[in-house]
Amino acid sequence: MRGLHVYILLAVAALALLFADRLSSYWMHVAIIAMFYGILASSWSLLAGYAGLFSLGHMAFASIGGYTSALLVQWYGIPIPVGMAAGVALCCALGGLIGWVCLRMSGPYLAIFTLGFSEIVRITFATEDDITAGMAGLHVERLFNTTSRLPYFYVAFALLVVSLLLMGVIVRSRWGLFLRAIREDEQAASASGVAVARFRILAFAIASGFAALAGSFYGHYIGILTPSLGGLDFMAVLVVMTVIGGMERLPTAVGGAFVVEFLLELLRGYGQWRLPLFGIILLLTMRFARNGLLTPLWLKFVQLGEPRAVTAMALRDVPQKDPAQ
Amino acid sequence: MSAGAELIRGAGLVKRFGGIVANDAVEFTVVEGDLVGLIGPNGSGKTTLISMLTGHLMPDGGEVVVRGRGMRGQAAHLYAAMGVARTFQLTQLFGRMTVLENLLVPGLTRPGSTWRAVVQQARSTLDFLKLGHLEQLHAKNLSGGQQKLLELGRCMMLEPAILFLDEPFAGVHPHLRDELITRIQELHEAGRTFVVVDHDMESILRLSKRLVVMARGRKIADGPPAVVREDQAVLAAYAGS
Repeated sequence: MRGLHVYILLAVAALALLFADRLSSYWMHVAIIAMFYGILASSWSLLAGYAGLFSLGHMAFASIGGYTSALLVQWYGIPIPVGMAAGVALCCALGGLIGWVCLRMSGPYLAIFTLGFSEIVRITFATEDDITAGMAGLHVERLFNTTSRLPYFYVAFALLVVSLLLMGVIVRSRWGLFLRAIREDEQAASASGVAVARFRILAFAIASGFAALAGSFYGHYIGILTPSLGGLDFMAVLVVMTVIGGMERLPTAVGGAFVVEFLLELLRGYGQWRLPLFGIILLLTMRFARNGLLTPLWLKFVQLGEPRAVTAMALRDVPQKDPAQ
Repeated sequence: MSAGAELIRGAGLVKRFGGIVANDAVEFTVVEGDLVGLIGPNGSGKTTLISMLTGHLMPDGGEVVVRGRGMRGQAAHLYAAMGVARTFQLTQLFGRMTVLENLLVPGLTRPGSTWRAVVQQARSTLDFLKLGHLEQLHAKNLSGGQQKLLELGRCMMLEPAILFLDEPFAGVHPHLRDELITRIQELHEAGRTFVVVDHDMESILRLSKRLVVMARGRKIADGPPAVVREDQAVLAAYAGS
């Protein structure tokens, strides 16, 4: 049976939605945060895994998106979804601008540049406390006027699914192919007719938009925003999640976010010691499984129900169709 | 020189790297139907010239004209869109993409191209290059010669008017080299124009209709191979005097 994995995923999703109300408030919170990270990890995977643009400024865009939505809602009383959309739009534009500024940078130079950008954002938010309330934290209007986490679970789920569908369309289209070509060799990509500058800017704009979506949801869920959302600690967790899962595929990046977030909670009893543990797992992943720990499992999963003859095909990332057409 | 329409012209091209003048006011024109061998000692400026003519290096002086259009300040992908394709001295493939995907990339950059048609074209290109059985392999896993063939295939997918091949025979087994020469000749007979840079004189002489020789950043000879081979300046350049 072809596409069995899709049916299994749909069944799991349906079960998750049906039985979500049976989760304790604590584990529902963990699931919501895992989905928040899922959007961030998949969009960072689009940028770093597909396009090879190893940006450390991803959480800064989540932070900008969060503050933009929170402040617009606070100042102008606009509906929260409109505020979130404004945050996304602003970060798409800002992401594109950052992409344009660092067009000629790659590898460590790009990482350091984007790290500098994210620190500027974090310190600005911390310093401008007249506007952002600084490290005391900005109180943000919550999305729902209820103490139940269930509506947030559904919204997080919907945002994750829509984000993955949109990004899935992109990576399976010719755009995805061009981004991977840019990752492999920019000069060869341009010799092949790929408008490298345009696609690099586009990758930054799209990924930053999704980061803003996650960040603005986070603000309106938690109800408070601090500048640390855009700091290096959050970014490090995101990198750990995505790399351990597998940064060159969206599902493995999301899987990494889920696994690491749930393990972080399960191992809470070990206190701060669980963090070096993930550091060690990251090192081992980089040394022995550069495509991520979940990639082989995902490839096996995708093959479920496939006839043997096409198994080899499934192992490759051959695009079979252009969803844009 | 053949009598076709002008495809590409480098007018007074200058390129300096630090204190070194890699190209010193080079005039270089290629017309439709040409099969040019571009030769010269190491460091004579051949690759620099190709890189300027294909948009990968900005000239410090002079201009590149493609089909009558001045290309000043244009990015390399626009040269590709105008039918100017190139390979690289050290093969540059999309290593962790499959052989088929390597060909899909240029095919899908063409305006109006459909996925289905490009996949079909890529498969027939692979068959033409005798790489069809390897389409699902990652490009980095091909042998050196196969990589050269794949790079030629990637150029073909642009349906270019002119192909610049930078040292296509370097490090290639003689059998695969003959394969490459045959493919180039077939493509040329089908109407493609070529500029081939290489140090393998035997292959260049087998292929070329016109020979251009560079030395110390300047063009020192340009004409039919039989004439250029006897040119005293060329002999002197190769003798190192």
